[in-house]
Amino acid sequence: MIDCKKFKKDFVAFLYGELKKSERELLKVHLDACPNCKRELEELKEIRKGAYVFQADIEKAVASVDWETLPMQITENVFKEEARVPRGSWLKKFSSFLFQPRLRPVYAGLLIGIVLGSLVTLMVLRTPVSIETKAEEFFAPLDFLEKVELEMARRDTLDYLDKSQYLILDFIQTPSEKSAELWQSEFTSQRARDLLAKKKYINPQLDKFQMAKAKAICDQIEFLFYELAQISVELSAEEIRKIQKMIKERQILLKISILKKELELSEV
Amino acid sequence: MEGKRIVEKEDIYTLVEKIKEGDREAFMTVTSLYQKKVFLLAFSFFRNKEDALDIVQETFLRLYQKVYMFKSGKNFQNWLLQIAKNLCIDYYRKNYGKNKGWQSEKPIDEMNLTVQNEHDPLISSDLRGILSTCIKKLAEKQRMIFVMKQYNQLKYSEIAQILDISLGTAKSLHFKAVQNLRGLMAPYLGRQL
Repeated sequence: MIDCKKFKKDFVAFLYGELKKSERELLKVHLDACPNCKRELEELKEIRKGAYVFQADIEKAVASVDWETLPMQITENVFKEEARVPRGSWLKKFSSFLFQPRLRPVYAGLLIGIVLGSLVTLMVLRTPVSIETKAEEFFAPLDFLEKVELEMARRDTLDYLDKSQYLILDFIQTPSEKSAELWQSEFTSQRARDLLAKKKYINPQLDKFQMAKAKAICDQIEFLFYELAQISVELSAEEIRKIQKMIKERQILLKISILKKELELSEV
Repeated sequence: MEGKRIVEKEDIYTLVEKIKEGDREAFMTVTSLYQKKVFLLAFSFFRNKEDALDIVQETFLRLYQKVYMFKSGKNFQNWLLQIAKNLCIDYYRKNYGKNKGWQSEKPIDEMNLTVQNEHDPLISSDLRGILSTCIKKLAEKQRMIFVMKQYNQLKYSEIAQILDISLGTAKSLHFKAVQNLRGLMAPYLGRQL
């Protein structure tokens, strides 16, 4: 059975005379001993014989062609066809050179190069855009931002203390009789209002950074300005003197100076 | 004349070189030398004279256009038949592909195969029809190998070169082609033979 399978593969080659002599002999021996294989080979032989029914058609067709004139006709047609693009023309030579099969790997390489090059160019050209986009957003560490806010709070407080100091000095140095007049002037009352507004602005900053001492002094100043803002013409010189005395007793100016010093030293 | 003429390798290489230079006479000589072989291949494949002649014309036109690709040392005949084979397949797909079939055929079951007489034109005509239909049913490569072997009497080594396959594959495909034909024709051969 195994032998049959091995020999069957050679049946067609045997029929068409393509087996070596030794292989042919071996197959013949097997066929003599195996009726099944012999029958199968006979069937294949019939197929081959049957296929020869076309042989007559082929011979008839071959006989019907004028082989003497056909080459002339073919040549005529081919050269007429080729005349459209003259064979010796530079275009023909160039296209023949350009499209020769051995250049295919070169073209493949070129194509890959172009694709990769385009991708790289695209990436390079797109990079600045992405950097620009990032530049619009600013990212910084949290501790850095806190330091910035602290520094701003410090400067705002210093500014507030400076302006308050000048205003209080003006108040103290003005004789009590003229003080009411001074506080009723547009300029001074505006300065006081500005300082009261500024105090409201720096309050959250002082709270956030736990600047308790500065907050206490600033609160005192604020309170003082509230008092002064209420000064009217009817306020007696006595009362003004009382306030001036209070400022001195509480050493507000001194406290302001000390606090300013401290704040100046604690620059971030 | 041209079929029997023995062309030495050196001769054909010289002719090919001349064709590359556009030599009309050389081209005509090569055409007359190989026209019959190309015709035989195409006719075996299509069994139609007009189609076969179209293939011959187209093959030599293609030869002229692609001759610069031919390298000395290769087998010219196999190279040319390779062109013809490709054209046959393209032509077949274009003209006989899906739903187009060979026009002269009638259904196998309607054919009269009861009497065997190879010399009776009527009976031969029906057997031709049977074979034609069965060969058409073979896969493209099997069909090509079958006609090359059966009608062009090419060797396996030549077929392998033309079809660009190994010798073993050529043998195996031919074996399968004949086996498949046997399978397809078995019922009719059983009655006829």
